[in-house]
Amino acid sequence: MPRLTTDRARRAHEVDPRAPLAVVATVKNARRLVGVDAQAARLGLCVGLTLADAQARQPSLVVCDAEPEAEARLLERVADACARFTPLTALDGRDGLMLDVSGVAHLFGGEDGLVAEVEARLSRSGLTVAPGLADSPRAAWALARFSHRRVAPAGLAGKDFARLYHDMPTAALGLDVETCADMARAGLRRIGDLALRPRAPIAARFGADVIARLDALAGDARGAISPRFSAPELSVERRFASPIATSEAAFVALARLADDLAQLLERQGKGARRLELMLFRVDGGARRVQVGAGRPLAEGKAMARLFAERLAGGAEEEIDTGFGVDLMRLSCLVAEEVAPAQGEWERLDESAGGRTLADLVDRLSARLGTRRVTRLELVAAHLPEQAFAATPAALGEARAAGQGNRHGEGRSGQAIQQRSQRLWIASPSARDDEACDAPTRPLRLFERPEPIETLAEVPDGPPLRFRWRRVLHEVAAIEGPERIAAPWWRRPGAPTRDYFRAEDALGRRFWLYREGLYGRETTQAKWFMHGVFG
Amino acid sequence: MSLGDRSEGVARLRCAVAAIEGRREAAPTRAVARLPLTRALDRALGGGLAADGLHEIAPASPADGAAAMGFALALAARFMAVRGRAAIVMAEDFALAEMGALYGPGLAAFGLDLSRLVFVRAPDAPALFQAMEDALKSGAPAAVIGEAWRLKSYDLAASRRLLLAARAGGAPALLTAASAYGAAEAFSSAAETRFEIAAAPSAHLASAGCGRGLPGAPAFAVRLVKARIGAGGAGQGADPTRTFRLVWKAEELSFDEPTLSLPVVAAADDRPRATRA
Repeated sequence: MPRLTTDRARRAHEVDPRAPLAVVATVKNARRLVGVDAQAARLGLCVGLTLADAQARQPSLVVCDAEPEAEARLLERVADACARFTPLTALDGRDGLMLDVSGVAHLFGGEDGLVAEVEARLSRSGLTVAPGLADSPRAAWALARFSHRRVAPAGLAGKDFARLYHDMPTAALGLDVETCADMARAGLRRIGDLALRPRAPIAARFGADVIARLDALAGDARGAISPRFSAPELSVERRFASPIATSEAAFVALARLADDLAQLLERQGKGARRLELMLFRVDGGARRVQVGAGRPLAEGKAMARLFAERLAGGAEEEIDTGFGVDLMRLSCLVAEEVAPAQGEWERLDESAGGRTLADLVDRLSARLGTRRVTRLELVAAHLPEQAFAATPAALGEARAAGQGNRHGEGRSGQAIQQRSQRLWIASPSARDDEACDAPTRPLRLFERPEPIETLAEVPDGPPLRFRWRRVLHEVAAIEGPERIAAPWWRRPGAPTRDYFRAEDALGRRFWLYREGLYGRETTQAKWFMHGVFG
Repeated sequence: MSLGDRSEGVARLRCAVAAIEGRREAAPTRAVARLPLTRALDRALGGGLAADGLHEIAPASPADGAAAMGFALALAARFMAVRGRAAIVMAEDFALAEMGALYGPGLAAFGLDLSRLVFVRAPDAPALFQAMEDALKSGAPAAVIGEAWRLKSYDLAASRRLLLAARAGGAPALLTAASAYGAAEAFSSAAETRFEIAAAPSAHLASAGCGRGLPGAPAFAVRLVKARIGAGGAGQGADPTRTFRLVWKAEELSFDEPTLSLPVVAAADDRPRATRA
């Protein structure tokens, strides 16, 4: 897209379509043109000219500032919209897109039809396109930028190849400016000059990269594009002769798509863990919506419900059909084998309960986000704030099992839990059976420990009373200290904490700690409130 | 102790034996209409806490927020144990920021099975109520706890929706109104039961060193502000002037009513004979 910058500026600033337009940016301390539109180019302006010169030549020139981020965003949006042609789309530099169209051209009436369709769709949304389609990515790149021909026939070789490419300047190999200048000094200006000479001297003088690029141009070396999104495992799509404009109709279509996908999955004995819905609008916009499932989904109805849940979330989440959606594609990004259903009578009831819970977790995760629906796991760490980890519940049991294996023990979570219970039984207060019921860890933990003022008999003794959130609490019962040292192997010199369980006169139970050992680490020990007991 | 406790205790022991022997026995699952708590409370509630209703829990003072959540979690632990299913704990973001996040090791020590808990954080109160409603309707969880902070959107209609969802799914909704301290009598809703919870001094244990004792098992002072008894119910109903004292036994997953007792010397059967003389 040679005129991406000016096309964007024209769209963003509503410039008069007849006026010549240029986009400027500061390059090497001077305001220079970085993009000109077709009319400005016709008037003799070119990229690299200083703004003062350009305005002196053409006083009627309209000038906008370059916005690289906005241009990058526009390019990404266009790339998304181009996903209607092929799932493999890649960004190419700052103003180009690469589409891998192997095996899709016949859907659009051959390669010429495909190129015409791409050009028509993009120019309808105000973008100037210079397409090129060839056997290899490098050849297509050269064709789009340095030739008026659009489609190079497949299997081009020998004389035909030479006729098409050998007249192009050396820059068509995508070499940098210095190398091109070096070549020009040596009299090598066109690709033909390089291709017809012995390769060894060229490689010795300009680097092996030049030869590699020549091979890529000829299609001898397979170049691959790096697509923005990997190709889905399965996908189904539906094109609408007349665009649909209501979200109800979209949901009906979605339900049918989900049924189609479920059939495909069933044939492979798989279920979908991650799904993506793409909506392509007539006006060139595209929208991606992803949902994840905690267990492999094999029913179309469940998939449709997840999307309905996700899209009913809020105002910005709703389906924006705009002027109408003319293509919907439902892809399964990650598929997993579906475990065969348990036939045992005893397990039947339990697994059904588990399935409804997994469905519920999926629905809540789709609506609120996976980070908001979690399970807590115990972690073997001494510092209280690191002794647990929250994992998204939508990851399901598979992830939990994987983590267990990583610890080298299948049931490490349970082992830790048992250990913590033993810890609670073997706490210092466990002098008789009664004490077992007093938990040693608080129900709630403050993310940032809150500083408190305390009064103690001796500097390293337990507090008599303390003030927290402006309320004075008299300590009626206290237990401690439980000394927890900071991990010295990670952060040497961090103060040791002495934890106390304190109960005030009204029965509220708190978890306090003093930071720093009195006398050894500090003389001004600070006290903090770290948690509260139920 | 109520009548339900005996069979419950036997089932719990059976599970413990199975765990020791390495068998995995299905947890006892039975549909309970009412969950017994303690003898005195059961009498007031008409046989226990309704297993398919909306119960509100409010703290008595700002500092009792943790006790209110503790009481709700204790109820959920009991429902989980009786039904053998998972529970869902939901909270508004602001409540978690203000009152502290729920702490995994502490929950485990409180008697909750972390592998059967799902935590949900809701951005605001309406989202919380909707999520609670969905969770209740699905019929999957044994109990749903919701901790709400901004109660502006919690009115008769919202509470009625929660109640109907709880009826439909057959699971109790335990709504903790963290910011409604001391206002338990003030707000009207469709809830079946409303508790006002305050922390109560625990039975201190004698300490070896200093004069002050050690904190004991979690204790609550429970006021039953509202109790709607059905036509067939034989409960006494709410009596806001009365305060029930409960002690939570984390290992047995049950409440205990402490008898009014003073700390006495421990039974001396394992003590050396010489010291007794």
